[in-house]
Amino acid sequence: MAKVAREMVERSGVDVEKLLELLIKNAAAELTTYYYYTILRANLIGLEGESLKEIAEVARIEDRNHFEALVPRIYELGGKLPDNMKEFHDMSACPPANLPENLTVEEILKVLVEAERCAVRGYTQICNMTAGKDHRTYDLALAILNEEIEHESWFSEFLGEGPSGHFMRRGETSPFVSKFLK
Amino acid sequence: MRKFTREELKEFNGKNGKPAYIAYRGKVYDVSHSFLWKGGRHQALHEAGEDLTEGLKEAPHGEEFILKFPVVGILESSTDLEGR
Ligand code: HEM
Ligand SMILES: [Fe+2]
Ligand SMILES: [Fe+2]
Repeated sequence: MAKVAREMVERSGVDVEKLLELLIKNAAAELTTYYYYTILRANLIGLEGESLKEIAEVARIEDRNHFEALVPRIYELGGKLPDNMKEFHDMSACPPANLPENLTVEEILKVLVEAERCAVRGYTQICNMTAGKDHRTYDLALAILNEEIEHESWFSEFLGEGPSGHFMRRGETSPFVSKFLK
Repeated sequence: MRKFTREELKEFNGKNGKPAYIAYRGKVYDVSHSFLWKGGRHQALHEAGEDLTEGLKEAPHGEEFILKFPVVGILESSTDLEGR
């Protein structure tokens, strides 16, 4: 734990226990999404599905990066991850991104886009709670939010909601979060 | 339809196997089966058994998420009965 770092956040008026619970729940969402996306990606098959494997994979790897970037901040602030993996899964800030019953590419895309939208909501909340107060958590949550918004727009483009406005990643993943992973 | 006082609503806090009910704009919704209301707790910031109409104004989503849950009653003395 980083005692003074935590004290600075407390003194700025942030309820650190609530913030920690949110950070842990969102870390749980990231790691479980990484798992569920593995299954979703495997089921993106056929002419249509194959072309989406690549973005599903990038979104999957970036979610794992989000998990890894959140963990140090949780410990710095005096929190910890649950000992039990099942407990961790069940406290996720987002519902499980289960494989849909009807295994069409469109139904899989809907699951993916909903998972990203849940994440966009979660990090917006953390940014709102920490803006101007907990600078380091804000910086991290904002970096993650930038990537979640890109994920949402990639998938929504394929659902016919209009252009995402950007290109695929060229090589490297996590352009915003990578500074927290070095 | 059942009428709940604020006091009665408090019982349905989702703790110890009790159902989780939330009031929103005069109506009482049953969110017991929601993954995101386990144990009557939502996102570390909200608890079931309460009128959360005000809380939603600060939330990162709108009422569309609430309206899909079953209505189990109305909240007595609610000043806002406009909820659908
Ligand atoms: C400010 C604090 C809040 C935060 C951070 C928050 C966050 C969230 C998030 C991230 C979701 C998932 C959305 C998605 O899947 O895209 C959600 C769903 C939901 N929220 Fe909130 N929310 C807050 C306040 C509230 C309040 C005050 C209410 C009730 C009046 C509420 C009722 C719900 C319901 C009923 C769902 C749907 C659950 C389900 O489908 O199982 N939330 N919330
Ligand atoms: Fe993520
Ligand atoms: Fe994502």
